[in-house]
Amino acid sequence: MSGAAPSPPTDPLLEIRNLTIRYRDGGRQINAVSDVSFALKPGGSLAIVGESGSGKSSVAGAVLDFLGPGAEVSGAIRFEGQDIAGLSPAQRRRMLGRRIGAVFQDPFTALNPALRVGRQIAEPMVEHLGLALPEALGRAEIALREMGIERAAEVACAFPHQLSGGMKQRALIAAALACGPSLLILDEPTTALDVTVEAQILRLLSRLRRETGVSLLFISHNLGVVRRLCDDVAVMYASQLVELGDVRSVLERPAHPYSKGLLASRPPLAAASRGSRLAAIAGQMPTDPTPDAGCVFAPRCPFHELRCSNAPQLLTIAPDGHQVRCWKNGVLGPWPRQAVVDIEEPVFHRGDTLVNVTGLGKTFDKRARFTAWRLSVADGRPLLYRRPGRVPAVNDVTFSISPGEVLGLVGESGCGKSTLGRLLLQLLRQSHGSVEFDGADIARLPTQALAPFRRQAQIVFQNVGSSLNPRLSVGEALERPLALFNLVEPRERTRRVEALLEMVRLPGAYRKRFPHQLSGGERQRVAIARALATEPRFVVCDEPASALDVSVQATIVNLLADLRDAFALAYLFISHDLAVVAQLSDRIAVMYRGKICEIGTAAEVLAPPYHPYTEILLASAADDEPPAVPQGASTELAVGHPGCVFAARCPHHLGSICATKPPPLRVQSASHAIACHLDTAQLALSRLGA
Amino acid sequence: MAAYVVQRLGAAMVIMVAMSVLVFLATHALPSNAAALILGQYSTPETQAALEHRLGFDLPLPVQYWRWASHMLQGDMGQSFEMERPVAPILWDALGRSAILAVCSMIVVSTAGLALGVVAAVWRGRWPDHAASIFTYFGVSLPEFYWGLVLILIFGSTLHLLPSSGYANLAEGLGPFIAHLVLPVSTLTLTLLAHVTRLTRSSMMEALDSVYVKVARARGLPERLVILRHALRNALIPSITVLAQDFGFLIGGIVAVETVFAYPGLGRMLVGSLARQDLPMMQAAILVLTGVYCVANLTADLLYGVVNPRIRYGGSIG
Amino acid sequence: MAIRRRRRLPLSLVVGGALVLALVAISALAQWIAPYPYDQMHIRDRFLPPNLTYLAGTDEYGRDVFSRLLIGSQLSLALGGTATLISMGIGVPLGMLAGYRRGATDELIMRTLDVMLAFPPIMLVLLILAVTPPSLLKTAIAIGVLAVAPIARVTRSVTLDLMSGEFMEAARARGERLRYMLMRELLPNIWPVLIVEASLRVVFAVLLGAVLSFLGFGVQPPAADWGLMISNGRAFVDTAPWISLAPGIAMSVTVIAISLVGDGLREVLDPRIGGR
Repeated sequence: MSGAAPSPPTDPLLEIRNLTIRYRDGGRQINAVSDVSFALKPGGSLAIVGESGSGKSSVAGAVLDFLGPGAEVSGAIRFEGQDIAGLSPAQRRRMLGRRIGAVFQDPFTALNPALRVGRQIAEPMVEHLGLALPEALGRAEIALREMGIERAAEVACAFPHQLSGGMKQRALIAAALACGPSLLILDEPTTALDVTVEAQILRLLSRLRRETGVSLLFISHNLGVVRRLCDDVAVMYASQLVELGDVRSVLERPAHPYSKGLLASRPPLAAASRGSRLAAIAGQMPTDPTPDAGCVFAPRCPFHELRCSNAPQLLTIAPDGHQVRCWKNGVLGPWPRQAVVDIEEPVFHRGDTLVNVTGLGKTFDKRARFTAWRLSVADGRPLLYRRPGRVPAVNDVTFSISPGEVLGLVGESGCGKSTLGRLLLQLLRQSHGSVEFDGADIARLPTQALAPFRRQAQIVFQNVGSSLNPRLSVGEALERPLALFNLVEPRERTRRVEALLEMVRLPGAYRKRFPHQLSGGERQRVAIARALATEPRFVVCDEPASALDVSVQATIVNLLADLRDAFALAYLFISHDLAVVAQLSDRIAVMYRGKICEIGTAAEVLAPPYHPYTEILLASAADDEPPAVPQGASTELAVGHPGCVFAARCPHHLGSICATKPPPLRVQSASHAIACHLDTAQLALSRLGA
Repeated sequence: MAAYVVQRLGAAMVIMVAMSVLVFLATHALPSNAAALILGQYSTPETQAALEHRLGFDLPLPVQYWRWASHMLQGDMGQSFEMERPVAPILWDALGRSAILAVCSMIVVSTAGLALGVVAAVWRGRWPDHAASIFTYFGVSLPEFYWGLVLILIFGSTLHLLPSSGYANLAEGLGPFIAHLVLPVSTLTLTLLAHVTRLTRSSMMEALDSVYVKVARARGLPERLVILRHALRNALIPSITVLAQDFGFLIGGIVAVETVFAYPGLGRMLVGSLARQDLPMMQAAILVLTGVYCVANLTADLLYGVVNPRIRYGGSIG
Repeated sequence: MAIRRRRRLPLSLVVGGALVLALVAISALAQWIAPYPYDQMHIRDRFLPPNLTYLAGTDEYGRDVFSRLLIGSQLSLALGGTATLISMGIGVPLGMLAGYRRGATDELIMRTLDVMLAFPPIMLVLLILAVTPPSLLKTAIAIGVLAVAPIARVTRSVTLDLMSGEFMEAARARGERLRYMLMRELLPNIWPVLIVEASLRVVFAVLLGAVLSFLGFGVQPPAADWGLMISNGRAFVDTAPWISLAPGIAMSVTVIAISLVGDGLREVLDPRIGGR
């Protein structure tokens, strides 16, 4: 670095060379990152993609000095030409605040709950830019407005718990950019957010890049997101960099088998036939990889040969210029597709229903007696009033499911889909409406009389960490339903448990294991086995794959499909991920704020005409940069107003009718209905941005 | 926030009423014959019956409770059986003296305990932490009266530095006043200090391990700012609850400490009245001490509501 | 039991556990180990400092302090154990019920407990003890009743944590009855916390029992209770400090041992509660 002259534009902003990070766990050393090298040019945008455990977050941690004393770091990290390791702590601090900004995954814990938001954004400016606090607070407010927050003054004075997730994340981005850094590191910034909010944040980041020229280091497991925002992508697997190159060529022509597998296992956003299965990567990522012994991916690789496991794999250059850690690159074909199962498409008769839901509603009533009263001052006089009751979580829902049919239920967080699932199983009692199972209205039955129903209807949960009792072994957990319903003789139970394990493709020996000894995917399989132990006819799957890594998701979805075919099971498949739902479902229902906006076969829902909300969901989930979604006509609608629940956000808002009258059900075909004030002709024309 | 305040006030009142009922019932379950006690050598079945009638002991319990409670609220605490004088003035005097002990102890405990806990958390794993650990271990392993005796032994009997009992009025000079306070306050403080230090340490450690602290460091903020402004503010919020709980232990400690040091406070009066079955004094002392605790808890709850932004500013913006 | 990874037991658990076992053994065999009966007076040997015949000296009646210490350990440990059993026997079911059932049951239980918690700890006990003639059992019951509220609270909060785990919902989806839910799903996950809590309660009971006897509301003379011994020795703290100091040291060792066990257990059991 010569004097005060700025570095020439071809020098990389951030250069990582042979970065190796090892952690000590107990007596062993774990390789978290092995010999990773890449460079980020000024104004560029690089994504590090990998599943949990791949080491991607550790790379960011090394730059930010987060790793803690238990980590051994070797290799060089150069930022703006300087070697980070050579800096004094004070210099490092200055660099972090001033030149590098960071945004983390969980906006809910990243903001200090005891300090006002504006203060948290202003602080780095006071520290690093030497501004006085009032001036810094003023700039913080401006920054919030630039992030697209309209009521910036209010938000700046607010505490974190008063803001929504999307707002919090915007505030965090504002704080990261407060001092005008040249590098912004983002570690899974949108994973905890709804897909529509995610789309907005990504658009924001895009705009910021264009306007300020800040470079991005974006860490994610989501390949679709990466495509929209980044120029280059580095794929990491089990501590190693396995592919590095331009984002288009890596995503369209992946060279490394793992990249191929990762991309192939993503469900396409299209209706699927009953027999189709997702391409999956068998096995799971090693938790203690030994890259010196051979290719870390070899055990799961369909292309592997003996030579792969003999010596460490080196980086080579693929034909179109990107780096690949596979000696076979260039000669590999696509990831093997999963064979289409030869099965007849079932035909469902409208009259033959297994589950029939009519006018179902559920409102959670907080103990509204004492705490509902509020004291406020109006015109200088105190006023005591009663806060209005809450909005129903599930609001007048009607649909039916035939035996052997899969109904997918799609919606964002808070739409009531989980509540609906639990209502169907009577794990929650409805406020009004009826639920008929096999002809009998189970909503009217007292709890004691539900036993025969319980056998036939089961549930699989999202949270793999807590859906199995940590104190029960797998065998004990699976035996319990058998014992409870007296399905098998005591002598036969062990054999049946092993059969159940086999059904979910786990070895019989697993019955001795405890949940904490299993991986996430394995635990979910045990949960599925437990649900199927009673030989049910109907299973509610509440986001069963959402908490799992992408490659494991595909195996679980395939497993559910196989079981569905083998036992003629009916599912209510709940997810926020439209693509996954489309893969498995015969029909799809789209839910928003307790109401079903659109229902139809998978093909019908995924094609126009759309309900405005469905349209937004599809656009947000697609890979290309979605067109801007205009804000709804008015955001000030009162909670619990009688009109359409989507009125506040709808880009095709018609006027006061949307806010005052509930939308009629527009029937598009025998199976397809949309709840909207727009008539059929208008709906057929609807396109975002039109 | 308003709803929270109203809720807490309501709860406190309900508790006071419930408590007074309990105190009344418990003390009226005494098997001993109160009338016989008062009359002493003059007691015969007739005089006892007459006195009982005069004292209202033959009325139905709810009526007796009502009379007792309404008198209490007006400040009339009845007449001590033993001393044959009104209870109220004696009690308030004693309460004042106990209050001095309590206030001094709470001040020391809150400042020193919080400071020590924070230091132990910030220098986790190093010698200040270990020193604090050992200190807290010993602090919680022995009751106050024992420490009191040890301190008397060292400072009173052996070194003759400080008086080992009694109380000196401010009128007698600041020196003697403070000298008589040093040992009792130190005794009270030792045990509580250990408790508060421990809990503050763990809540501070939790704050230091949090994501927002990591984020603050990632923004390059100097460590002292991170600790003092970011971590401490969050760590202190639960400490308020701890201090309130400790006030309850403090009251218990005062009873023991006043006995050891022959300090003429309310605790010592209570023990005396229990031993001598002096009913009105007993009832009044227990009720007042419990009432003080109730008020302390209420104050802590309200303070917590002010300090915790989630309660102070409920609701949401978009 | 789960197959645990090989981990060394924490030092606190080993040392504390050994001490506690030793104490319990000594206490159980106190009658035989003690050199002299606890109430035997040796008038000519009063106020002797610790020496070879009387390991902890003698008190104002010439009784051997060391023997009285050993017998006193029985009283303290018995008090601690009984009080804790009572408080857990009542508090744990109450807490589990309140946490599991929520709603009106929860409100009722918690409000009642709130009233009990509104008393400064010692007031409640004194209230109970003052109205009946004191005895070891009554003291244990009084302390036990006092501890019901905090134990119920802790149990309830752990129960609430566990209730949010879906395995409870899965059990309800099977139609399991209340008894099964509490005993087979909930309790196995609660007991690690409870054991740690129990060790804290034993310590609390021993200390509170000492205060009560010191004030004269616990067991009566000539019993060899540690608190009582300290109280008796107060008058002689200048001339014969060992009469008060010795029981204090014994109490300190006992309490520290039990605390070590509690801390050690917390270290061992905590990571498993997370179940990850």
